[in-house]
Amino acid sequence: MNRHSFGPSWYRSLIICLFLGFVSSATAGVWEGGDPVKGEQLFNANCASCHKINKEVLAAPGLGGIAERWSASEELLVQWIQNPQAAAASGDPYIKSLVERYVPTFGWMAAQAVSEADIADIMAYVQNPPGKTEVVDTGDACPTIDDLDQGSSNSSATIWFIILFVLFLIIAVSASNVRFSLNNAMRESEGGERLAPISYGMQIRAWAWKNLVFVSLIGLFVVAYVAVVGYQSAMDVGVYEGYRPEQPIQFWHSIHVCENEVDCQYCHSSASKSKHAGIPSTNVCMNCHKGIKNGKRWGEKEIGKIYDAIGFDPTSGQYIENYEEKPIAWTKVHNLPDHVYFNHSQHVAVGGLECQNCHGDVAKFTVGRIAPVEEINALIDDYPTLIQLSKPTLTMGWCIECHNKAEVDLTKSGYYEEIHNRLKKEIRGNEELRNYLGDDKVTVKELGGWECSKCHY
Amino acid sequence: MVLFAAFAVMMGSCVTDPNSPGLEYMPDMYRSPAIEAYVDYGMDTYHFGNDQADSLSNTLSARKPAPGSIAYVGGDKAGLNMPYPYPNTMDGYEAAGVGLKSPLATNKVNIEKGKELYTIMCTHCHGKTGKGDGAIAANGLIMGIPDYSTKLKDLPEGKMYHSIQYGKGLMGSHASQLSQLERWQIIEYVKVLQAGGKMPEFDAAGNVMAATAVAAPADSTIIQ
Repeated sequence: MNRHSFGPSWYRSLIICLFLGFVSSATAGVWEGGDPVKGEQLFNANCASCHKINKEVLAAPGLGGIAERWSASEELLVQWIQNPQAAAASGDPYIKSLVERYVPTFGWMAAQAVSEADIADIMAYVQNPPGKTEVVDTGDACPTIDDLDQGSSNSSATIWFIILFVLFLIIAVSASNVRFSLNNAMRESEGGERLAPISYGMQIRAWAWKNLVFVSLIGLFVVAYVAVVGYQSAMDVGVYEGYRPEQPIQFWHSIHVCENEVDCQYCHSSASKSKHAGIPSTNVCMNCHKGIKNGKRWGEKEIGKIYDAIGFDPTSGQYIENYEEKPIAWTKVHNLPDHVYFNHSQHVAVGGLECQNCHGDVAKFTVGRIAPVEEINALIDDYPTLIQLSKPTLTMGWCIECHNKAEVDLTKSGYYEEIHNRLKKEIRGNEELRNYLGDDKVTVKELGGWECSKCHY
Repeated sequence: MVLFAAFAVMMGSCVTDPNSPGLEYMPDMYRSPAIEAYVDYGMDTYHFGNDQADSLSNTLSARKPAPGSIAYVGGDKAGLNMPYPYPNTMDGYEAAGVGLKSPLATNKVNIEKGKELYTIMCTHCHGKTGKGDGAIAANGLIMGIPDYSTKLKDLPEGKMYHSIQYGKGLMGSHASQLSQLERWQIIEYVKVLQAGGKMPEFDAAGNVMAATAVAAPADSTIIQ
């Protein structure tokens, strides 16, 4: 707030008022005769960052019902908007009550550069807002490739398969029992001896000997099947592609990153500074959600969980004092074993990699998950610097494959220039090192990116 | 029967449950006994035993620094991480506007780094050119974000810093996401936006050339 500038503004509004008063005597007061369409523009430009037109509190009290509430003069309303502190100095009891009630919580309103005619327009809009135009749904431009219910159908199919198999066994066993009893009954009726009961194992063995070719074929098939499936599942140990745990809040990356263009590093702000990209703390959520209280898909339900965690009352727009904050228990998705060292800042700040290179197009995700390598490779059109890889995401094969392909920009970091210079000195008489320069590029591997102790120590 | 059991186990392992991270080999090597961020030590019964693991379950391994801690980066940056002297009040805001000055030189390095950081941290609300027309504003979620080149043209750098430190109105504090150096670098770029958004020309040493320097705030009737 610049105290020098009140004068000119006041003069300006006075001149505008005199001019308008001269032209038309209809603009008698701020409560009548304003243009709500113009008022909407003015309101959105000057007031909407703190006030709402209903009674909801944003960063200041809502203006709904102001015409009924305002019990000071119209001149004081104009002054209160153009220069709140001067209006307070007038000693009016209503203004005094406003100052006592709101200034300790919200602070003084900045003096607004609006004329009396502008205020009349704004008040016309606040009292009679035109029908709200629907915000254009940008959902089509930002499709989510994750559908929330996937995954459950596969497991239920397997369970049905197992249940059917067990049912079949039960039927087969009881059928053989029935056959055995019928056999005995027949023998008894013919006056013969009862057969000695034989165990199921014996029965199966007898049956198998009778059908030797069939049984050995089936056996061969089962052994081959177990070997193949066993090999596949053994290769899946330690592969986390597709891991998408349920999170405590239905956080959709697509709404935040694609629709509202929040940068990855706004929330994961330590990706360029630290080992961890970081899961944002609740105060970072509140940087936007202090104002955005209604989610697009779940309304107040999911955003309310943030308020519950940090102790924010959305009705009063205030933090609750002495609230015991509850941490939001996000489930970490990208886990590396402890025997691997990985540092985000090394890859983001020094290496200059795009987030998408390892995480895929998270802007189209719902909750976080590990993107399979094929999905990441398909992004090459949008991200030309992407390095194409073949091994599953987050495995060691994937890491070293990338270290073998990724080129290092030596000019970006003094550290790599130094390593490169040392390499050049060592190169005399060392054929292996000389081969490194054969392809005219310096990869991470050639600067030591394949040494065990780079990642394992 | 044995074959059947093996078969059932194999079938079971084909189930894809998105809530399960999959199998680990040698799980004792997966979690560190030394405290690391984002690890739930309640899951580590191998190192801690059942009783201690229960008490550690669902506790934070990342802790807030002790009150009064000063982040120390080293070199000449150390001076940038001192406690902030102005209180979070309107008086503090005014005082910062008068008394708080950027310790950085207005040069190529700082302005370009500031632009990079501004693009990450500010554009979704304030817009790429600082007109308050970022995607969140365009989608009608937060409105009335002031334009740097008109309404906030004469906003002094101390007030900008105060707003980043504590937040202002609907804007929250960004102190947890930005170091003090980064805050001042962003402010260097916001000053370019205040002057219309055209990048100044730099000489070979990276200093702003006099003719294209960002104009000093002129006496204006715009109130802020």
